[in-house]
Amino acid sequence: MSTPYNHKIPVFIHPIEQAFARILDFYGVAWEYEPRAFPLRWDKDGNIIEAFRPDFYLPQQNLYVELTTLRPKLTLRKNRKLKRVKELYPDINIKLFKRRELRNMMLRFGMAEEAERIFGTEAQEEWE
Amino acid sequence: MEDLWLSDTNNELTKDIQQVFVSTSALQSRVRELGQEISRDYRGKNPLLVGALKGMIFFMADLLRTITIPVEVDFIAVSSYTNEARDRGVVRVTKDLDLPITGRHVIFVEDVVDTGLTLNYLVNSLRARQPGSLEVCVLFNKATRRLIDLPIRYKGFDLPDYFVVGYGLDHHERYRNLPYVGILKPEVLFTRNG
Repeated sequence: MSTPYNHKIPVFIHPIEQAFARILDFYGVAWEYEPRAFPLRWDKDGNIIEAFRPDFYLPQQNLYVELTTLRPKLTLRKNRKLKRVKELYPDINIKLFKRRELRNMMLRFGMAEEAERIFGTEAQEEWE
Repeated sequence: MEDLWLSDTNNELTKDIQQVFVSTSALQSRVRELGQEISRDYRGKNPLLVGALKGMIFFMADLLRTITIPVEVDFIAVSSYTNEARDRGVVRVTKDLDLPITGRHVIFVEDVVDTGLTLNYLVNSLRARQPGSLEVCVLFNKATRRLIDLPIRYKGFDLPDYFVVGYGLDHHERYRNLPYVGILKPEVLFTRNG
């Protein structure tokens, strides 16, 4: 992967993260991969027992980005963590890209294979 | 107009549409309002409308015809994020403006903004040429996918994050010529051209 920012290329946990990083590189947007963990819960001795580490940080936008390819039914834990982050760190900007948003983003960027890997060929979900 | 299209069983495009999302009449009405706003705001300024190829062609054509003051128009194009382009590394201008914009009142016209990545690149490119002013006019705003926020002076519609086509919006270069905006049927989403 080429990069205009001379990143030390991280080992991405999920292929969608690599695809996302390549899109950012293409458009010249600086990013950092999992640069910070936000403690969410502590035990009685003050040790961190739960934390949340967003996938990306975009320094120029001061924006953390979390990607998830989980089905909506399985995102309860992640949603709960995000809610807790916003409670504890109200000045932090975090954006969650959900499964369908990622799929549509990949489709818009001509990455049909990546989109299909996220979603299979399921129907577009009901719109409200 | 979409009624005529949808009732035509031989229409090869409409058979792929699950649902009309923004009707032709709604598009025309909103574009007319935007044209009126621009005409009012830019009276005596001879603005230059700049469009990024190719998605905005229908919007630009209709918008221009609702503006009642003298305007000029020009186009720019950038490489899209295709396999070939991404192998070359970064986005590039593939068709530059024909007109100089230094000191001009520029309105950048775009069909849709979602992540803001393309818009940000283009606005920065235009801003570097030192226009007298630079505003953004977007027909469709998909805020749910926004990564880079840019001020939008003129906005047509807020859209939820559904994969829509028509009125310039494409899927594998198809469906741009639908006169309305529709949601693609799911089985079409992952099909390739051919």
